Amino acid sequence: MRTKVWMVLSVLLAVAMLLAACQPATPTPQVIIETVVVEGTPRVVVATPQPTQPAEQRKVLRLAWGPGDIPTIDTALAVDVISIQLIDSMTVGLTRQNEQTAELELAMATEVKTSEDGRTYTFTIKEGVPWVRYNGKEVEQVLDCDGNPRYVTAYDFEYGILRTLSPATASDYAYVLYGIEGAAAYNQGETDDPSTVGVKALDEKTLQITFIEPAVYNLNIAGLWVAHAQPKWIIEGDDCTEGRGERWTETGFYQGYGPFTLKEWVHDSEISIVKNPFWPGDAVVPSPKIDEVHWSLIDTSAALAEFEAGNLDVTGIPTGDIDRIISDPKYQDMLRDTYTLGTEFYAFNTTKAPTDDVRVRLALALSVDQEAIVKNVIKTGSPAHWFTHPGVAGAPKPEKFPNLGVYYDPDRAKALLDEYLKEKGLTADQLDITLMFNTSEAHKRKAEAVQAMWKEVLGINVKLTNQEWKVYLKQRVAGNENIYRGSWVQDYPDANNFLREVFADNNGTPGAYQDVVNWPVAESEDGRIVYTPGTNPLYDKFVELVLAAAKETDPDKRMQLYAEAEKILVVDAAVIVPLQWYASKILVSPRVVDTPSITGYDRYEKWDIKS
Amino acid sequence: MGRYIARRLIYLLVVLFVVSAITFGLMHAVPGGPFDREKALPPEIIENLNRRYHLDEPLLMQYGRYLYDVFIPRISATPPKGSVDDDFLITVKLGNVWFKWMNFGPTYSSRSRTVNDIFRQQLPVSAQLGIMALLVAIIIGMPLGILAALKQNTIFDYLGMSVAIFGVSVPVIILGPIMIWIFGVTLKWFPPTGWGAKPPFVLGIFPRELGPEFFRYAIMPSVALGLGSSAIIARLTRASLLQTMREDYIRTARAKGLRESLVIVRHALKNSLIPVVTILGPLFAALVTGTFVTEVTFGIPGMGRYFVTSITNRDYPVIMGTILLYALILVIANLVVDIVYAYLDPRIRYD
Repeated sequence: MRTKVWMVLSVLLAVAMLLAACQPATPTPQVIIETVVVEGTPRVVVATPQPTQPAEQRKVLRLAWGPGDIPTIDTALAVDVISIQLIDSMTVGLTRQNEQTAELELAMATEVKTSEDGRTYTFTIKEGVPWVRYNGKEVEQVLDCDGNPRYVTAYDFEYGILRTLSPATASDYAYVLYGIEGAAAYNQGETDDPSTVGVKALDEKTLQITFIEPAVYNLNIAGLWVAHAQPKWIIEGDDCTEGRGERWTETGFYQGYGPFTLKEWVHDSEISIVKNPFWPGDAVVPSPKIDEVHWSLIDTSAALAEFEAGNLDVTGIPTGDIDRIISDPKYQDMLRDTYTLGTEFYAFNTTKAPTDDVRVRLALALSVDQEAIVKNVIKTGSPAHWFTHPGVAGAPKPEKFPNLGVYYDPDRAKALLDEYLKEKGLTADQLDITLMFNTSEAHKRKAEAVQAMWKEVLGINVKLTNQEWKVYLKQRVAGNENIYRGSWVQDYPDANNFLREVFADNNGTPGAYQDVVNWPVAESEDGRIVYTPGTNPLYDKFVELVLAAAKETDPDKRMQLYAEAEKILVVDAAVIVPLQWYASKILVSPRVVDTPSITGYDRYEKWDIKS
Repeated sequence: MGRYIARRLIYLLVVLFVVSAITFGLMHAVPGGPFDREKALPPEIIENLNRRYHLDEPLLMQYGRYLYDVFIPRISATPPKGSVDDDFLITVKLGNVWFKWMNFGPTYSSRSRTVNDIFRQQLPVSAQLGIMALLVAIIIGMPLGILAALKQNTIFDYLGMSVAIFGVSVPVIILGPIMIWIFGVTLKWFPPTGWGAKPPFVLGIFPRELGPEFFRYAIMPSVALGLGSSAIIARLTRASLLQTMREDYIRTARAKGLRESLVIVRHALKNSLIPVVTILGPLFAALVTGTFVTEVTFGIPGMGRYFVTSITNRDYPVIMGTILLYALILVIANLVVDIVYAYLDPRIRYD
């Protein structure tokens, strides 16, 4: 009779299994999807099994990122750090930022000539760099329809920039290239003639790019990932290649030419890139010493566990583990600082009382103790006293400007606020101020710390409120509160990308935070700030400074100009309270020889692994 | 019974339709869109993106387009290109024509992928984990519950229910890292994170190799995930069995002199299973479609994450896809539960 019970149980199990088998994603005949034709050769592309390590050790660098999938490795579509990191490892721009000095170097361009008016740049492209792909066993050169290797040419760069700008590509970051003549009009569909864009391949090795205005950072923009060469044949197809559209970045199809190339991308799980033996190494982008870089796409906590189990070479540290790791002597030599060129800040709504008065804003700013917050609450970054992260070109450096910006000054803060209160006939506890942030435990802790400081120094009871991320973004623009949390991470490492592109007008495109701070004015029409020059002298001066800095070629003078602009932004007009410049701690295994980066991007071609 | 099942399947279509309409309406009613970023994109860029994904069309037209892509089969003379826009879950070649059905659309947050890719590559991983977790839950939960009920108010009962309380109160977010620390990092019995199978999957669900390597990866997350559910099953089994034991027909069975073991197995246990089976349906649907915390903790490439991130990202096709999938599995699981009732309790008839 006991068998009856087991029958019931086993029926249950069987039902469970059966349900699983006939679940809705009815099995697709996998062969149809997996069999693809690559340049005329039938080839079954199946995710390759992990190769067994041969006797002589292959040097594999084991990293982690996540959780979640890498958004894209499509040159034209990438917007985030890991996507750009991978793209920069697999393709190389005309120029490339040195990760240790933050200086710009010529990479795929061997020479650049600037025209008289400073707007047109003529690049000579490095010769003999073939397009490559991983064929499941090894890296091979990509052949054209006549069977000759395809080399990277000026035409590939021209195609790359035009594909990014094409409205049909719908690239998020196309706007970073708006500095190029005709780029905005083409991307916005005002013309569908790509020849109106200021990008011309004069011959196979000469590329000419014309910008709207002469600026120091133009060369920086020419080297950005969205301006890398792209393989037209695999994206759009040609006589002997099937076009893959947006799917060209998948395992087995991806083609690149940089120091590494894509080996395998198992979505949501792992991605690995292998050394490209055809990359002609030079001083700027050497040939890699390691054979493979492998990312496990896992959460930071999981990554730390894997690191501690000896399965990873580099890991981030979750906030909860920071204290334990930092105080553990065995990790002392493995700790590194790593930077994200970005800033976290609180932005004032300058049109809603009482933060419409600069004295209130400055009083609030002066009562925030950045050092204390970073040390006790955030634990990783470095205290920020002005907006632009010092790691980007042109930014004021703390060593040169030790007194720039806002510093904790309770006496001055109180004096400023008292003046305001006296004038209005109010008391501090009558002020109605609300700080809003996007929902997150970490942001809440920071907000509570600042709330306590404001209470203690000024006696103001600031209310806290939070909203889910996307709702928050909408509400921030609607502007019903006084203070909003904000953050900005570089698109390209230049102070122009911070001060001008965030708080000033850019040839008709408003700064990214202008509709949050409502500085210089609140009114806007379809996202355009309506402002009459001359009505806000501080803003006029700010714009004058950042425009002058954009064209200034002398680094010291440029830094001075940006320092003056920073003073207007954080002190004279007190539009924001800077909180921290982003930085974090990572652990690097002793077997890795790394080149610590200050730019937020690593150059793995310079790394090595001790055998 | 056949007619009953057929009727239920027709209801299923109605349910899916209603769910899709409500979800579509709600997700578009929530403020914020898929392309709202910290750095607000210029309006022209957003226009390009909206045009690319047909978000510039009127809502009703978008909904119609979605239903058309998902529900209406296509027949074409050329093989599917497999591009992001031409990706169908079911593609069958019949003679010279291609029969294509169910295009759940692209994902906005991973530009080279589609919702169908998530169903092909992430859902099987979640399902493998979910089924194993469910087995763990049943294997631990039911005997524990039965033991506790039969030995009510003894040390077995208290011990068993303590274990159950522990299972319910210690969530995966605590249990997971502790297990990883003990068995993964310190003892090195199991790999701390990861999953032992990767796409493509056999029959769209099973790992290609079901060897020890697969289980080495699967054991920790399955136990962590299954333990919580096993506690629910144990408590439910105990309560239900205790109640059944007080029924008249148990007294009758005892009165006519049946052996106690027979009374329990044949009369009490079978009847007490009904509430347990009832929760197995929703439990199955929840476990199989992926569990966010377990997957993140153990670094498992399943689809639990998409239930959460698709909403925060306003990734409309993924929201629709995940919710329709969940609804479908839930309805089918409940149907199976109803059918199992008929076996467990002969008084239940559906005709």
